[in-house]
Amino acid sequence: MTRHHPDSLSLMEYSAGNLSQPHALCIKLHLDQCPHCRSRVDTLDSLGAVMMDQQPKVSVSDTSFEQLLARIDSVPAEAAPAAKTPRLSPLQKLLGEDINQLPWKRQLGDVSVLDISDKFPEQNERVVLQKLVAGGKAPAHTHRGNETTIVLQGAFADQKGVFNQWDFVVLNEQDEHKPVAVGCEDCITLSVLSAPLKLTGTFTRMLNPFIR
Amino acid sequence: MTTLEQQKAKPEGRKDPWGPLLEKVGKTQDRAAYHALFEHFAPQIKYYAISNGLASHAEELVQEVFISIWRRSCLYDWRKAAASTWIFTIARNQRIDMLRKMKRSSAEMAIETEDLWQIPGDNEDEPVTSLHRLMSERRIRESLSLLPEEQITVIAKVYMEHKSHQMVADELEIPLGTVKSRVRLALNKLKVILQDQNV
Ligand SMILES: [Zn+2]
Repeated sequence: MTRHHPDSLSLMEYSAGNLSQPHALCIKLHLDQCPHCRSRVDTLDSLGAVMMDQQPKVSVSDTSFEQLLARIDSVPAEAAPAAKTPRLSPLQKLLGEDINQLPWKRQLGDVSVLDISDKFPEQNERVVLQKLVAGGKAPAHTHRGNETTIVLQGAFADQKGVFNQWDFVVLNEQDEHKPVAVGCEDCITLSVLSAPLKLTGTFTRMLNPFIR
Repeated sequence: MTTLEQQKAKPEGRKDPWGPLLEKVGKTQDRAAYHALFEHFAPQIKYYAISNGLASHAEELVQEVFISIWRRSCLYDWRKAAASTWIFTIARNQRIDMLRKMKRSSAEMAIETEDLWQIPGDNEDEPVTSLHRLMSERRIRESLSLLPEEQITVIAKVYMEHKSHQMVADELEIPLGTVKSRVRLALNKLKVILQDQNV
């Protein structure tokens, strides 16, 4: 059972539709497995509705509704959105059925990585998958900027606790840690690293929860 | 859903005047009901578009949202969201889509907006979990009226102007920490903060 949840502020930015796709993906993957946070987002969506209602209103053009009806009539019986058919999870859509079979690049010791930033061509964030082999250790490291991470498979532990599948973690420069993959599965995580507003140095290093 | 829950949920559901109209549209393509929804929500959505920086596309966004409402209304389930909440999520997704289309290069995305931002009720597997959803809009309205203006201002900027907490801080010339604490105080009242819930 997941125990590390996104904070309310992130969920609010999600509900408002203000997050980038990679960040939204991390939240969505968590929501799909966490009824508790889903209920928090429901409340936030209602907050959005109430905000919209309490703001000024702007009248639409006189012909607006007619145009709408004309459009509806011109596209007869368009198929309703297929909610009944099971959807692929966004993760499967992005990465296929088995994340263990991806073209992982062995990095250091127990750690493999795969940069999937190119799956999000509209964003300038780095999106990185990482795999720590079962029982493996990553070298101690800290983080630069904020890194949002969700555990996709297995679990890892550091001095802050155990992070299980679908747990949500945000790490920053204060967090020096030495993660260990616990359990009998390789631990796979998805991390999003926002480009800092002010870039001060070269920005080429692999930034992720395991290795810096 | 148990009978008991149904009995409890129903009166609350009826307090949402827009839900039944949306259901009429979904079940019988009722155009009078559709028009009533349009009269009420279109001006809100137009302002939403304008405040989000889409002034020159505001009518277009209204159209897209209402086309989507027409096509999806058969999926609307009042037990999963109040009508206005459901419509808000559609407006939000259409706004995200429109911004994406406007800046889209040749690159096609592997995932759609709706893979990332779900409309309540789209996922059939999701059980109707609680009365919480039905209560929440009324409760939010009540709680909001008690919040200080400075907290509402921050929330409005996040929801209506597509601004991150950092951008709100820059605009109001207050520290990011102050913005966050205002939001936290507000969300605490609205019972979104984790500790207030039965985890
Ligand atoms: Zn959660």
